Amino acid sequence: MVSIRLDKVTKRFGKVVAVNNVSLEIEDGKLYVLLGPSGGGKTTTLYLIAGIYKPTSGRIYFNEKDVTDLTPAERNVGLVFQNYALYPHMKVYDNIAFPLRLRKEPKSKIDSKVHEVAKFLRIENLLDRYPHQLSGGQQQRVALARALVKEPSVLLLDEPLSNLDALLRVYIRAELKRMQQDLGITSVYVTHDQSEALAIADKIVVINKGIIQQEGTPEQIYENPRNVFVATFIGNPPMNIVKGTVLEDGTIETTGSRLTPPPAVLEKIKRLKLKNILMAFRPENAVVSEHPMEGRFSPMGDLFEVEPLGRDAVVTVTVGEFVIKVVMPTREAMQLRIGSKVHVNIDPSTIKYFDPNTELNLEYIEA
Amino acid sequence: MKIRKTSLLFFLGPALFVVALFYIIPLFLSVYISFTPMVDWNVNRYLTQFIGLQNYERLFHIVMYDPDMRAVVITTVVFVLVTLVINVFGGLLLALATYFMDEKMSAAYQGLWLLPRMTPIAVYSLLWYYFFHSSGIGILNSILLKLHLIDHPIALGLDPKYLPWGAWFIIIFVNGLVGVSYGMIIFYSAFKSIPKELIIAARVDGASTTRIIRHILLPLTKWHFTFVMVWQMFSLLMTYAQTFLLVEWRVVDSTWGQTWALYVFRTAFTTTKDQGLAAAASTFLSIIGIVLGIIALKALGYEKMILEPKGDI
Ligand SMILES: Nc1ncnc2c1ncn2[C@@H]1O[C@H](COP(=O)(O)OP(=O)(O)OP(=O)(O)O)[C@@H](O)[C@H]1O
Ligand SMILES: [Mg+2]
Repeated sequence: MVSIRLDKVTKRFGKVVAVNNVSLEIEDGKLYVLLGPSGGGKTTTLYLIAGIYKPTSGRIYFNEKDVTDLTPAERNVGLVFQNYALYPHMKVYDNIAFPLRLRKEPKSKIDSKVHEVAKFLRIENLLDRYPHQLSGGQQQRVALARALVKEPSVLLLDEPLSNLDALLRVYIRAELKRMQQDLGITSVYVTHDQSEALAIADKIVVINKGIIQQEGTPEQIYENPRNVFVATFIGNPPMNIVKGTVLEDGTIETTGSRLTPPPAVLEKIKRLKLKNILMAFRPENAVVSEHPMEGRFSPMGDLFEVEPLGRDAVVTVTVGEFVIKVVMPTREAMQLRIGSKVHVNIDPSTIKYFDPNTELNLEYIEA
Repeated sequence: MKIRKTSLLFFLGPALFVVALFYIIPLFLSVYISFTPMVDWNVNRYLTQFIGLQNYERLFHIVMYDPDMRAVVITTVVFVLVTLVINVFGGLLLALATYFMDEKMSAAYQGLWLLPRMTPIAVYSLLWYYFFHSSGIGILNSILLKLHLIDHPIALGLDPKYLPWGAWFIIIFVNGLVGVSYGMIIFYSAFKSIPKELIIAARVDGASTTRIIRHILLPLTKWHFTFVMVWQMFSLLMTYAQTFLLVEWRVVDSTWGQTWALYVFRTAFTTTKDQGLAAAASTFLSIIGIVLGIIALKALGYEKMILEPKGDI
C-alpha cells in the first residue's frame, strides 16, 4: 500500500544532468513504465526511487512520508536488474535468502519464505543450483524471487526482459503483469521497448534527456502524443510526420495537396500565427492506392518498397521530401508496383497537428 | 583453424630465446654447479669435476651444526611468514580502503603506496639506511632522542641486546612496505571487475559495508587471494636485494638479518665465494619453494578453479 511521489527531483553527475526537475506521482498498486531512449535517465530515476542515488535537489515521498534521506533497505524496495545481478558464488536458495538473513530473521521463517516465493515463481527445483547453471529466463525468475521475498513496498525493475529472446520476452511480460496485479504491488518498470511498455503498463512515463515528455495511459500516449518526440518514439513503425504550409484561406498545403483542418485546429493555428505546421498520422490510419480515395487526404508520391510481414505489410512511399510508412493488408499491398505513382490516403480525423517551433501537439496547448 | 609451425616459431621464437637464455640455461647451470666443487669462480679448474651430492651433504652438515646457519633458517621462516601476512593482508586492507574511496582520492592514495616499488632499490634502501642508522644522525634515533624515549643512540639491527628482534623488525618492515602495493593493485582491480550491480543489489538487500566485504567482495576474489599469497611467498623466499644492502651497510646484523636467499648470494659472491655450496643451497631453496607452492595451491583449491565449468548461459 504505497504510492510514490517525486517532487522536482534533479540528479546531476558532474556536468551531466541525468534527471531534470522531474515531478511524478505513482499511484498505489499500479504498474508504471518509464520509457525512453538510451541515456534518457530511466535507470537514474529508478535508482533515485530505490535510494541508491541521492537527488541533487528535490524530495521523494512514499505515502507522503519523506524518504529522501533513507537507505534502500529502509525504503524496503525490491530491485531487479537488467543483468539480474545474482550473486554468482551463492546457490539460488542463498541468493533468495540473502536479504532475509541480513534482516536476521529466524532460520525457519527464512526457509518457509524462500520456499513460498520459489513456489510462486515455479523455481523450487532450481534452489540447489548456482546462477551460472541457469538459463536466462530462470535467472530472471530468481532475480524476481530475491526482490519479492522481502515483501517490498515497491517493486522496481530495470529492463528485466531485455536479455531474453523475443518469444520468451512476450511470454514472461504477460506473466509479470499478471503477478503484479495478483500481488497488487506498486511497481516501476524501466524499458526502452515501446511495445513492451504499451503491453503491460497501467501508465507510461516517456522520459528523454532527463525530462518527462508525457505521462499517461498507453492509449493516451499512443493516440494523442504530447509532442513530436513521443509521436516518433511510440509505435512500430512510429507516426509519420509531414510538414505543411498554412495558406491565407485556412487550408494547409503540402507536396501539392490541400487539406482543410478541423475548426478547433484552425483556430489555434490562427491564434499562434503559425505559417507552417507539422502533421502526424499513424501508419495504420492510411491506405496506399493507385487512385485517390473519397473522403481522405491523399498526397501523391512514389512507391519505394513493400515489406510483407505476414498478414500486414509495411509500405514505404516517398512523398516529396518525406518518407512515409503505411501498414496495410499484404494482399492489397502486393498489387502495387514498386516505383509507380501512388496516393497515400490518410484518414483526416486521425491527423495530429504540431507547432513546428515548440514541437508540441496543438491539442495540448491551452486555448 | 590450423596454425603452421613456421609462423608459430616466428612469433614465439624471440620470446622463447630470451626465456631460454636468461632462465632455463642459468637454472640448469646452477643445478649443475651444485654437483661441482667450484670456488672463486675458477671455472676452468672445477667445471668438469663431478663430486655428486657432496655439496648437499656439506649444506646439511652446516644447517645441523652451525649456529649461524640455524639463525639463517629461523630468520628465513620468520621473515617469510610475517612479511607474507603483512603483504597479503596489508594489500587487502589497502585495496578495500581505496575501493570505497572516490576515484581521485584512491588513485592518489595508491600512487603513494606504489612509491617504494617505483623507487630504485638502492635509493630505497639508502632511505632506510638513514632512517635506521645506529648513530645520532639516524632519523629513528633522533626522533626517539627528541621524545626522550632513549638517552643515547641505539643500533636496533646490530646491538645484541635487541637481537634477533631488532634485525627482524627492520628487514620485515622494509620489505613489507614494498610488498603491500602488489596485493593492493591485484585486489583492487579484482574488486573493480565485480559488476557494480552486485554491490548495489547487496545494498538494496540491506547489507552494510562490512557485510558487502564479507559476503560479496571477499568470496568473489578468493582466487586472487590465492594467487597473491603464492606469488608473494615465492618472491619473499627469493628476495635479497634490499636486505643485502642493509647488511652490507651495517644497518642489520649479518647473522640475524640474513635470509636463505641472501645466504646463497653472499656465499657465492662475497663471503667464502663457495659457488658449489651456494648452488646447492639455491637448488634446495627452489625445491622448498615449489613444494610449498604446490601445497598452498592444493590447500586453497586452485585446481578446482581451473577445472570448474563456467557455463555462460
Ligand atoms: N554514475 C554515473 N556517473 C556519471 N554519469 C552517469 C552515471 N549514471 C548515469 N549517467 C549519465 O546520466 C545519463 C542518464 O543515464 P541513465 O543510465 O539513467 O540512462 P538510461 O535511460 O537508463 O539509459 P539506458 O537505456 O542506456 O540504460 C546518461 O547521460 C549517463 O551517461
Ligand atoms: Mg538504464
